[in-house]
Amino acid sequence: MRIRSGVVVAALALALAASGCSGGGDDPETPASAAPAGGKLVIWGDDKRAAALKPFAEKFGQENGVTVEVQAISKDQQTTFVTASQQGSGPDVMVGAHDWIGNLVQNGAIDPVQLTAEQQQSLAPNAVKAVTFNGQIYGVPYATENLALIRNTKLAPAAPATIEDLVAQAKKLKADKKASELLCLQVGQNGDAYHAYPLFSSAGGYLFGTTAGGDYDKNDLGIAKPESIAAFKKIQALGEKGAGALKRSITVENSIATFTAGKCAYLVSGPWAITDAKKAKIAYDISPVPGFAGAKPAQPFLGVQSFYVAAKGKNKALAQEFVTNYVTTPELAVALYQAEPRPPVLTAAYDQVKGTDPDLAKFVEAGRNAVPLPAIPEMATVWDPFGKAESAVIGGADPKTALTAAAKTISGQISQ
Amino acid sequence: MTALLERETAPAEAPEPSGRGGLAGPLLKVALLGTVAGLAVWAAFPLIAERAWPGLAVLLVATAGLFYLYVGPRHIPAKYLIPGTLFLIVFQLFPVAYTAATAFTNFSDGHRGDKQEAVVAIQTASVTRVPGSAEYALTVATTGDPATGALTFLVTDPASKVVSAGTPDGLKALPAGDVTVNAAGRVTAAAGYTLLNGGQASARSQEITDLAVPTPGGAIRSQGLSRAYEGKAGRAYDGGCDCIRDTTSGRTWTADERAGAFVAADGERLAQGWRVGVGLSNFTRLVTDSAVSGPFARTLVWNLIFALASTGGTFALGLGCALALHSPRVRGRALYRTLLVLPYAMPSFAMLLVWRDMFNTDFGLINNLFGLDVDWFGGAASARIAVILVQLWLGYPYMFLVATGALQAIPAELSEASRIDGASPWQSLRRVTLPLLLVALTPLLISSFAFNFNNFNAIYLTTDGAPFPADNPANGATDLLITYTYRLAFGGSGAQYGFAAAVSIFIFVIVAVISTVSFRRTRRQEEVYS
Amino acid sequence: MTKWLSRVGWRHGVALLALAFSLFPIVFVVSAALNPLGTLSSTAAVPTGASLGNFANLLSGTDFARWFGNSVLIAGVSAVASVFLSALAAYAFSRMRFRGRRVGLLALLLIQMFPQFLAIVAIFLMFSTITDLWPAIGFNRAWGLILLYLGGALGVNTWLMKGFFDTVPRELDESATMDGASHAQTFFRILLPLVAPILAVTGLLAFIGTINEFLIANVFLTDTGAKTLSVGMYGLVAGERDNNFGMFCAGTLLTAVPTVLVFQFLQRYIVDGLTAGAVKG
Repeated sequence: MRIRSGVVVAALALALAASGCSGGGDDPETPASAAPAGGKLVIWGDDKRAAALKPFAEKFGQENGVTVEVQAISKDQQTTFVTASQQGSGPDVMVGAHDWIGNLVQNGAIDPVQLTAEQQQSLAPNAVKAVTFNGQIYGVPYATENLALIRNTKLAPAAPATIEDLVAQAKKLKADKKASELLCLQVGQNGDAYHAYPLFSSAGGYLFGTTAGGDYDKNDLGIAKPESIAAFKKIQALGEKGAGALKRSITVENSIATFTAGKCAYLVSGPWAITDAKKAKIAYDISPVPGFAGAKPAQPFLGVQSFYVAAKGKNKALAQEFVTNYVTTPELAVALYQAEPRPPVLTAAYDQVKGTDPDLAKFVEAGRNAVPLPAIPEMATVWDPFGKAESAVIGGADPKTALTAAAKTISGQISQ
Repeated sequence: MTALLERETAPAEAPEPSGRGGLAGPLLKVALLGTVAGLAVWAAFPLIAERAWPGLAVLLVATAGLFYLYVGPRHIPAKYLIPGTLFLIVFQLFPVAYTAATAFTNFSDGHRGDKQEAVVAIQTASVTRVPGSAEYALTVATTGDPATGALTFLVTDPASKVVSAGTPDGLKALPAGDVTVNAAGRVTAAAGYTLLNGGQASARSQEITDLAVPTPGGAIRSQGLSRAYEGKAGRAYDGGCDCIRDTTSGRTWTADERAGAFVAADGERLAQGWRVGVGLSNFTRLVTDSAVSGPFARTLVWNLIFALASTGGTFALGLGCALALHSPRVRGRALYRTLLVLPYAMPSFAMLLVWRDMFNTDFGLINNLFGLDVDWFGGAASARIAVILVQLWLGYPYMFLVATGALQAIPAELSEASRIDGASPWQSLRRVTLPLLLVALTPLLISSFAFNFNNFNAIYLTTDGAPFPADNPANGATDLLITYTYRLAFGGSGAQYGFAAAVSIFIFVIVAVISTVSFRRTRRQEEVYS
Repeated sequence: MTKWLSRVGWRHGVALLALAFSLFPIVFVVSAALNPLGTLSSTAAVPTGASLGNFANLLSGTDFARWFGNSVLIAGVSAVASVFLSALAAYAFSRMRFRGRRVGLLALLLIQMFPQFLAIVAIFLMFSTITDLWPAIGFNRAWGLILLYLGGALGVNTWLMKGFFDTVPRELDESATMDGASHAQTFFRILLPLVAPILAVTGLLAFIGTINEFLIANVFLTDTGAKTLSVGMYGLVAGERDNNFGMFCAGTLLTAVPTVLVFQFLQRYIVDGLTAGAVKG
């Protein structure tokens, strides 16, 4: 009885399976075969870029008879891209900052792009330099961003020439109870190297030396050198134990919000802050970040947003077509600018929009002395220790100890 | 007598299905097994199309195994364990095994793929445009069928306006009459050739990017679908010496299998490397590198304290509230419960970020509300207290829930009896209620300990290890082993997965030993009471 | 009066203190969500000026509704499925004696303690192949993610359930067997209804855990429409240094709603008779 019931069950099950066989057979998706006749292009970016890119991607798709998918990665865009690419699940085109290039190249994740001489000339030279690595151009830049000084013109009608001027003005405002904070420059508990760099460079500090060719030299670490220590001493004078202009309690979350609430007259931030300032109806003006009196001008970092061709993408030919021949058209550059107001790299597009947007020219002017973010892979070791040294010094620690420790950590990581 | 004996041994084997409700069971079984078989068939088709014979074999063996298991009457425990275990093996054990295997390699940024991939990457990255060469307009065409025919590049030289057909055999000029060229210089029609549209070209993307038309100066390659350039590879792989050779300068970088990179005579390494096994060097680095191992002990101690304080604190708080609300005389208990459980219902990562903002020295709610001026994340002690406070807030509702239920399961007679015997409420709590509760809840406490030991989010989203001593930016006062590892592995020049895997194993061994020891002790307790 | 105070009043006091501790961050979140300016520094502990603008922006400006639906679907299905798988295993651990039982129990506890750094890489490895072969359960598909979450079905929850099963007297099983029921019938018809409270608790825990899960969902779901709440909301706040704090808090509150609803629905099961082990007489 037992054996028989078992056989019956098995037989019925197989019968069911056989009937499902026909259903399984004509599976409409045959994923193992080559891409469907239409062709597909997959583009990855972060949430903001993905939203901005969608309409143009679709237009490209229609013109070429292919499907274009734009997807947004919410966190760890660079790592996710590299990991996914390596396993074959990556996109065909990646949108990201230019300082990823060194790491992407060492992982074989992106291919160089060959721009014609004409195309190169139509792009801003500092942006082209930023995406050049080891003599090759690896990405097509489309927008730049750099820090500038955004000031509340109602509270501070005139642009300060030096940081000392700024602090003096701000102190007066605070004494008059017109503002509660001196300067909104984000530091945070663990520091912020990107925002600290303008003042650091003005006071004479440097991160990496440059080789004869102009590339960054990973063997010349400038962090613990006397010039950098002297620079940090000046920063400390502005810190919590000094003038009180730089504070660790001003973080990425509250820096812009404090400015838009009218609590501080001066904000050091980038183009992304303008939208919030406009929303809060603050009358503002943009000028370069002021440096120290008698020292070099402040050099903010220049960040260049670029399109990359994934080396292991499934549709490289179409990706190259999109990146080198479509992104470099003025229509797309202008449209991307409208979705997200950053100075376009394409000179033709920039000329087209600068008339309507006075802020653009000012940001570009503030970026006149900007240095491109170093794209060498070793730069990744610098951010964290440098930021922590900055925050320690602002909190009152000894600059020499902090910087020497940071340099030791960094060089230890580099030599791994 | 024998009938009774038979009855008693009957449960060891599956009894015969009785007539009552006997049909529903087998029917359901048939349906489920049929679904399994149907799924197996559905899964088999792509495997067959891809000719993935090992995968297909695994699928068949697994399906056969499932059928054998569920049709036959034996192996009853397995019938219940297999479904969950199957998922466990595929989605939990596999990552663990993968991690363990990675610990013995140098898997990291710059060493992710194999040697062949590194060679291809080096060669592709070295292709540069021949100076002074023409910048061709390109149309991809084929002499035969668009899907399978041999590819040809129809290139137009912008200076001379000559159209040529490029194949792997070389460039051949085409007579002007045979081709139509549009204003931009691209070929729009050519006699004897079928032009590929976007979709067709996408389908053959790999072939298009691989195609190189040899020319005296180098080779013509595509740049997209509408442009081509003449390029020369600056570096090539030489199998004879197992090295990369620069074609212009003659410099060579030889493959170093131990390091997984190409190294030149003067020590310069090429950026693109590959993954190699490194034996135990990740583990030895953990122990010998003073920058890593020095703070390890201190971090371990704090980690233990954090886990104990979180588990113990949430338990004490939760139990306290459960005891307070345990009396039937408290009105509105249901309302209290719903409100008290709210912190647990809120998404934890969001609340961690909110708490971080609340601890801000100048703008945070805590300092503003209580009129304090504490630099919470600036001092080691205050940061640790802050972090534990957040954990208490997040975790005590769960313990409250569990303790409430457990309390209700304890018969009231027990505490009444102890009170009749003259015990004070505190004594009856300590001697009667608490031991019973602990027996019931110990597995939960152990798992809560383990969870908090590796509670990455709790530290990463609030302090990220702050405060850091001025002399060591890698290891902070509130760092757990897991956040410390994360920073070591992913804060360097790129991700160092091999090293992170080694540290993971290390952490796991610690946690596993602690848990096993606690487990053994509860087993003794369990046997006392169950 | 003092008698009430000493017997009952202090209980209310403790409860109220705990309530204050629990609720003040939540009040802050509510306040930020209702604040029309929607920035962190403009928010105080108590709501000033209420406006539903943040909620409106959230629902219209982002894909919040789709994320919500995805989260509820994924969390719901994986909670139910993992409760079922766990119950099956717990039944075996509790009622049956087989080789490797104790080791198996310990292993369940230990496996989930392994730090999951490289899980992402392993998942990419696995799912790249799966997406190529069977796209219906590959990347960007809810079903793929559900299957992945089911890997964690056997764990501490199985422990909890086993303890609960242990409290149900064996005599029930035996009398059912003597009436001719098979082990499956005993399980489904007799035991499962009896352990309903623990099923409810485990379901709630699994639901909450899945809704909060973020790291894996981040790499698995890249298509905006396929995302879950945790991933989508992280993008709101981490996205480009913007101050979407008000929208973020509005989203947080809305995310808590399904959990609270599930809790309310399951409350009668959870509280009445939640024994968690060998406590019954």
